[in-house]
Amino acid sequence: MNKIVTFLILCVLISCKKESAETIIPIDPNLKLYGNWVGDFEVSKTDTATSNQEDYVYSYKINLVLKKIVSDKVYGYSIVAGHKLPLLGVMKYEDGTAHFIVKEPLSHKQTGKYDFVLAQDSLKGTWHAFDSKAKVLEREFILLKQKFKYNPNAMLPREQSYVDYSSSKIDSIKEVVDGVEETYYDEMFRSASAAILHLNASTMILKEKDLKNLKKLDLEIIRNTIFARHGYTFKKKSFRQFFDPVDWYIPIKENVSGDLTRIEQQNIVLINRFQKYAEDHYDSFGR
Amino acid sequence: MLTRPLKGYQSILWQIVFACFFMLMLNITFQYIPYNSNVAFLQIKQSEVLAIPNYLFFFYLHVYTAIFCLLAGFTQFNAFILKHFKKTHTYTGRLYVLVVLVAAAPSGFFIGCYANGGFYAKCAFLLLATLWFFYTLKALIEIKNGRVASHKKFMLRSFALTASALTLRLWKVILVYLFQPAPMDVYQIVAWLGWVPNILIIEFYLYKKQFNE
Repeated sequence: MNKIVTFLILCVLISCKKESAETIIPIDPNLKLYGNWVGDFEVSKTDTATSNQEDYVYSYKINLVLKKIVSDKVYGYSIVAGHKLPLLGVMKYEDGTAHFIVKEPLSHKQTGKYDFVLAQDSLKGTWHAFDSKAKVLEREFILLKQKFKYNPNAMLPREQSYVDYSSSKIDSIKEVVDGVEETYYDEMFRSASAAILHLNASTMILKEKDLKNLKKLDLEIIRNTIFARHGYTFKKKSFRQFFDPVDWYIPIKENVSGDLTRIEQQNIVLINRFQKYAEDHYDSFGR
Repeated sequence: MLTRPLKGYQSILWQIVFACFFMLMLNITFQYIPYNSNVAFLQIKQSEVLAIPNYLFFFYLHVYTAIFCLLAGFTQFNAFILKHFKKTHTYTGRLYVLVVLVAAAPSGFFIGCYANGGFYAKCAFLLLATLWFFYTLKALIEIKNGRVASHKKFMLRSFALTASALTLRLWKVILVYLFQPAPMDVYQIVAWLGWVPNILIIEFYLYKKQFNE
């Protein structure tokens, strides 16, 4: 009797195994294409008649995400300068290389069409603005695939300079030369202190004494490094300038408030308080 | 210039300049009305507010009383008031002494123990509070014993320290405008720069006056 039962159970098990093996979905041939493709998004053609250097941002960090490719249809989204836009397009094989043409929605401002190929392990191509009167008509990019992983220990690199070139205070100096008055302008830029390289607001609970000697720019950078670790895409140029060149920084989201750890939330409250104090009191008559 | 009570245009100029600074100080005091444990300067003092019992009590005692010391700047050095309104001088003087000795200097000493800017800044504030108390007490004793000349000397010293409330903040504005230093670097400097030059100027004046008499 025992033997019969064992035999029957074995039969059932084997048949189950066979069945489950048959239901495995065939591997998606495009699997290795899915993910974050990250790189610089640089201006290559502008409307020379109307624009000058001041009017546009020369380089952005772009994250072009390929989500799914079904037959020749491509789904994904682009994350650039604080905006996440859906992408829709087609992929074709030409001479054995994958060629993509994907479009951002027409309904948004400053959108366009991406035209790129898979060249070895990078995506290489151009972007053309839909609006023929746009200041920037074309951008170039070479993107490498990068995996995003939240790393609380990631810090800003030492080699970079942390000077805020996006805003300046202009001092004018008047001088009289041969009876003609001339005015010179001296631009002053804020630069950050070394504290931004060792104060990690994601791993340690900051104390008042850690922040007391910091200026507004330091406080802003320390707080925004938290957001950068979570892949926040910065809308403000003044923050992008510090984070875009950082290797580990991958913009993936427009909102990271739900991802913050308890330590980070606590530190943000403290940093905000010090930033408000710095804004209201740093250069005013008072303490 | 100060060998006698202020007269004429000097007096008017002093009244105007002092009134401007007094308004600025009043403005700062109003930041703390209504009472709030996390406003203005207290925004960066929450460690002390939460950990030190009575910190808020002494802080607010200092803020709410010290402003009255400055009133002395309008009345006590004015020749006209000194001559024609002796009672005003006496009553304002009593208010000044009472506020300094009972509230402003002791509370200043207490909050000075927890001052920003580390050891050297704390030293500056503790020394300031001690000297302020001492000069004011000495001036009171001198007038009680009828020694007017000595009373004047000590009151000038006392008020030089009272005026550090203005000069400290003025130096801060100047230093930040010129050099944009880090906040606590400024603080360590003005902790000393706020009152040491004041007292040196008064001592120099008293020294010169000694030979003129």
